[in-house]
Amino acid sequence: MAKEVTGTTWTVYDANTMTQAEIYGSVLCELGEKYPEIVGLSADLAKSTKIGVFGDKFPDRFFNVGIAEQNMFGIAAGLAKSGLLPFVSTMAAFTAMRGLEQVRTDICYQNLNVKIIATHGGVSFGAAGTTHHCTEDISIMRSIANMTVIVPADGIETACAVRAAVEWPGPVYIRIGRGFEPTYYQSEDYGFRIGKAQTISEGTDITLICCGITVLQASEAAKILKEQDGLSVRVLNMHTIKPLDEEAVMKAVLETRRIITLEDHNVYGGLGSAVADVIAKSGKGCAFEKAGIPDCYCVVGYPEDLYCHYGLDCDSIVTKVREVMGRDFEEDESWEDEV
Amino acid sequence: MATERELLAARLFTHAVFPVMKVILNDDPKMKQKFSDVEALVQFRAKDAAGDIGAWLVFNKGEFRVEQGIRDSPDITFSFSSVKKMNDMLAGKPVIPGISGFSKFGLLVKVFSLLLSLKIMMPDARPKKMDKKTLKVKLAFYMITTALSQYNKGGDPDMVKWTTKQPDRIYQITVDGTDIAAYLRVKAGKSKAGRGVYTRKRPFIHMKFHGIDGALAVLLRDVEFVEGVAKGFVTIEGAPEYAAQLNDFMQRIQAMLT
Repeated sequence: MAKEVTGTTWTVYDANTMTQAEIYGSVLCELGEKYPEIVGLSADLAKSTKIGVFGDKFPDRFFNVGIAEQNMFGIAAGLAKSGLLPFVSTMAAFTAMRGLEQVRTDICYQNLNVKIIATHGGVSFGAAGTTHHCTEDISIMRSIANMTVIVPADGIETACAVRAAVEWPGPVYIRIGRGFEPTYYQSEDYGFRIGKAQTISEGTDITLICCGITVLQASEAAKILKEQDGLSVRVLNMHTIKPLDEEAVMKAVLETRRIITLEDHNVYGGLGSAVADVIAKSGKGCAFEKAGIPDCYCVVGYPEDLYCHYGLDCDSIVTKVREVMGRDFEEDESWEDEV
Repeated sequence: MATERELLAARLFTHAVFPVMKVILNDDPKMKQKFSDVEALVQFRAKDAAGDIGAWLVFNKGEFRVEQGIRDSPDITFSFSSVKKMNDMLAGKPVIPGISGFSKFGLLVKVFSLLLSLKIMMPDARPKKMDKKTLKVKLAFYMITTALSQYNKGGDPDMVKWTTKQPDRIYQITVDGTDIAAYLRVKAGKSKAGRGVYTRKRPFIHMKFHGIDGALAVLLRDVEFVEGVAKGFVTIEGAPEYAAQLNDFMQRIQAMLT
């Protein structure tokens, strides 16, 4: 699958195979053959969220409830209670906020086996405006007991996450973009495991912990930093925000002593906060920076422009790394040679 | 007047080679016994138009340290008419220094034996017994890491350029099956030689020598470094480009000290 990355300008050769939602739709169809208990639900967004592909293939196992998200999550809870495996798709903003009470009380409180695929997360629906942006969902979902939260890097990883979610007990929230995001992975055989971070590149100078669209940008930034600055940058794809791979975070703290988290989400409560919790609990010091959407309602524009605006593109990450590398965070020990 | 390179070489001797005498005094039982009750100051002094330079060794009943500069009333003084001559003698070349302190003949003999024991560090010294082999490896790695740091602190332009562009990084050396471990820390132009394993950060480069014999094979140049890696005498973890650059600086230092 070809791609070119320069900042956030990429060339999409085959948009249909690359979009996270497209891949999600086709993988769900494949799983539907194997698991007859899988059912699909949508709130009049079957086409946008691509769950409609599943509906076309299994019309008697697909339910469009209309523009009634709260009802949809309540129905999903009931279907799960009766032994089915509901996959529910709507936009992240309508899942995490409009349908929040039903997600929390109907699904998570009972620890029901409902898989939620939330599309258009972050600012990926940039031009649609603030009502359709969703920069709060990771924070909201990770604070709900029993919920597992996954933010795949691209379409391939979305496929991995959807497959893994089928076997994973309890509610799962998989947060993807609008589509048209470029891919990082080439195939599904790289060893995806829920709760286990993926090391994109090894490094000892600094660690970039990322999720979602920032994975590709961070990996490209690491290459530039190695070439131009000789920096050894570790990049971790922290696709599972909850349960977080605390071991990988602590290894980064102890081995690189400098960490930047990158996410298409408000800097409060998301991946950065989850990582910060682990660091604070450990009592170990490191230089730490959270990169993401600042605490504001985002400006409106194309997602690529918004990623640049909010410092989540490759060039901005390079600049951020250089800044954090120059930051002193602890009193230096003596520089006298030991005898 | 001494050249900058001569002054840098003298700095390497007084800051990196002299201090490893402490290892001999601790690890060689005979030498330890010999100096257990010695209290003395031994000065090395080289004349130079810009002002004499030197260092003195402090023996204090089994304790040992090195101080830089010239001090009053040492027990023994080794004097040299130039910095170059001092460097030559310390590199094992035939130079006879002026010696004051013959009245303390017993001390002089002990100090000579200590200086001669440093010959184990010479590239052609091939100890046979395991304790001496271990001592040679330990001395070499302690001296190398300190010499690299001093090469930077002494202002070698290439080394300064190399350390200045680097963030906080650890170049770790360890020898499997022993407690021999030393590291060089660099950070934005600063440097420090340390003993043991640095624990606050993962090494940027980790040279793992596989046993004393593996380390000696590389140190004695029985095999070239790359060949040593191929033969499994040493494993390099980290960026090979930087390991090669570090090796280049080590060779430059060795050329200055021999």
